[in-house]
Amino acid sequence: MNLRDQSSGLFWLGISIFVCIESIRSGIGAFHSPGSGFLPFWCGVILAVFSLILVTTSTLMKQWKGRITDLWKGTEWNKVIWVLFSLFLYPFVLPFVGYLIATFGLMIFLISIMGRSKVWIPGVSAFIIVLVTYVIFHLLLDVRLPTGILGF
Amino acid sequence: MDLLHHIFYGFSVGLQPENLLFCFVGVFLGTLVGVLPGIGPVGASSILLPATFRMSPISGTIMLAGIYYGAMYGGSTTSILVNIPGEAASVVTCLDGYQMAKQGRAGPALGIAAFGSFIAGTLGVVGLMLFAVPLSEFGLKFGAPEFFAVILLGLTLITYLARGSAIKALMMGAFGLILSCVGLDPIQASPRMTFNMMELWDGVGLIPVAMGLFGISEVVINIEKTPSTEILKTKIKNLFPTISDWMQSKGAILRGTVLGFFLGILPGSSPIISSFLSYSIEKKLSKHPERFGKGAIEGVAGPESANNSASSAGFIPLLTLGIPANAIMALIFAALLIHGMPPGPFLLKEHPDLFWGVVSSMYIGNVMLLILNLPLIPLWVQVLKIPNKILFPLILLFCIIGSYSLKNSIFDIVLMMIFGMFGYFLRKFDYEGAPLLLGFVLGPILEMNLRQSLILSKGSFSIFFARPISAVFISVAIILLTTSFIPHLVKVKGKYEALTKDD
Repeated sequence: MNLRDQSSGLFWLGISIFVCIESIRSGIGAFHSPGSGFLPFWCGVILAVFSLILVTTSTLMKQWKGRITDLWKGTEWNKVIWVLFSLFLYPFVLPFVGYLIATFGLMIFLISIMGRSKVWIPGVSAFIIVLVTYVIFHLLLDVRLPTGILGF
Repeated sequence: MDLLHHIFYGFSVGLQPENLLFCFVGVFLGTLVGVLPGIGPVGASSILLPATFRMSPISGTIMLAGIYYGAMYGGSTTSILVNIPGEAASVVTCLDGYQMAKQGRAGPALGIAAFGSFIAGTLGVVGLMLFAVPLSEFGLKFGAPEFFAVILLGLTLITYLARGSAIKALMMGAFGLILSCVGLDPIQASPRMTFNMMELWDGVGLIPVAMGLFGISEVVINIEKTPSTEILKTKIKNLFPTISDWMQSKGAILRGTVLGFFLGILPGSSPIISSFLSYSIEKKLSKHPERFGKGAIEGVAGPESANNSASSAGFIPLLTLGIPANAIMALIFAALLIHGMPPGPFLLKEHPDLFWGVVSSMYIGNVMLLILNLPLIPLWVQVLKIPNKILFPLILLFCIIGSYSLKNSIFDIVLMMIFGMFGYFLRKFDYEGAPLLLGFVLGPILEMNLRQSLILSKGSFSIFFARPISAVFISVAIILLTTSFIPHLVKVKGKYEALTKDD
């Protein structure tokens, strides 16, 4: 049994059922007059069929293999959690404090957790990165970066 | 005579200062991206895609094209010096390139990779010129059923040529099509799967999807590994291969060029497959196959030629039929669509300056790359020394800015993060992102042509088989799907019989 394929197959089966339900709500129409839900419905059906095939083949495998936790064996998975957490937090903080402060904080955090370094390196590197990207994107390329409640 | 006229016209466009500049920027960035293991040409193109909207469509396309084939050149540098492929199509170059470097022959390895890439890339562009015009004229005979059929074939081919599981690739293609349906229905303008969110009425943006799937997820996957990027301490000398090296490599370069070109034309193919196949062929044809994996120069020359030739050929289905051959072509396709120049059979007629300008820029770009890659190797070696703890946050920041800059929308950043996390888990569970992106980009065209065809035929699917061109494409798609599943079904049947026999 391949647990990884089995679990991912079940996930996609759930997605396909959801898509089919939503498509029926949108209206599948008829073959001579396909509605809004026509393509997503049939793609949902195809996805469901292949998910079932994947679940079946992975269940029928004689040997146990593909434990889900093995995917993270020998990896620095804790770094990944912190990185994803900080990346998800960033867009919520950004409108309040603005690009300069939010990005400075994000860069210091990311550089610090990526690896060991001297105390001043994350701060100086983050400062340079923020400054250079601000000049290139905001001043030269005219990208309107968020200013936040502090006005900068 | 016409062709010569077109070539001169193309050079008159390609040699304009603005286009020359962006060609240089593209190939330089492409080489840089190819050298750096943390990001690939798809991630880099998705980051730079918003920037192309501020340029003319010709300059933007030239730059994106330059990134693509430039990355093929740059990828060999890390493969040879560090034994880590700079990008996926250079994986095979590690096998013999690094061994050559360990034997003190890094120079000839880098040299033959660069020269082979140049020859193959140039011949690939010649092929592009020769095939594009007749294919474009053939494409003018296409109606809605034919477009539906060729897109279906393209999506099927992705799965047939997928590196991993065909079923998983098909699932990703189907999910990409579903994702493309989010937003307002193009015909009835009714919202679909928008969950009452106004931001989704325009659909899911390509940039957040592409950057998330290929930029963010690639960096996150690299973060969890602890790679040892020890650059081989060897003097890089004699970049020009010897006559003996040329004699050994000439066959491999020519074979790789032809193989890569014809594989690259196929929608769904990619330079990765060309490079792998080229290596296998060279090993099979060699009188001393035991040399492969121990520093055989043909093991570098063949794959590097194949991947460059494939990258040129990939433009053929895109520019003539409007079918992107792979994920990066899908991004160029989207860029041209946003500029109001949909790729397809009419592109050559309505925008010859774009078509021939891009073709000529590929000649120019190949020359620039040969010049960039050989003398600048010490520079690329220094670039490799940039610590990951600086490089990875920088790449993440570029993704954030690129995603935000399109619509000044925080929602797009959130969407990109969601797809980044999604892409990370896809990779962990061995799903490929390229079929998803292709399905996503091709979905709207597929849907429009499918619905138009069914309305025309009053609901009968026979319209796809009554017309010869679509009948051929659909039949090939069915055959490919069936043949890719037969081994799978046989395996399942065998396992079932084994299980019931035990009972």
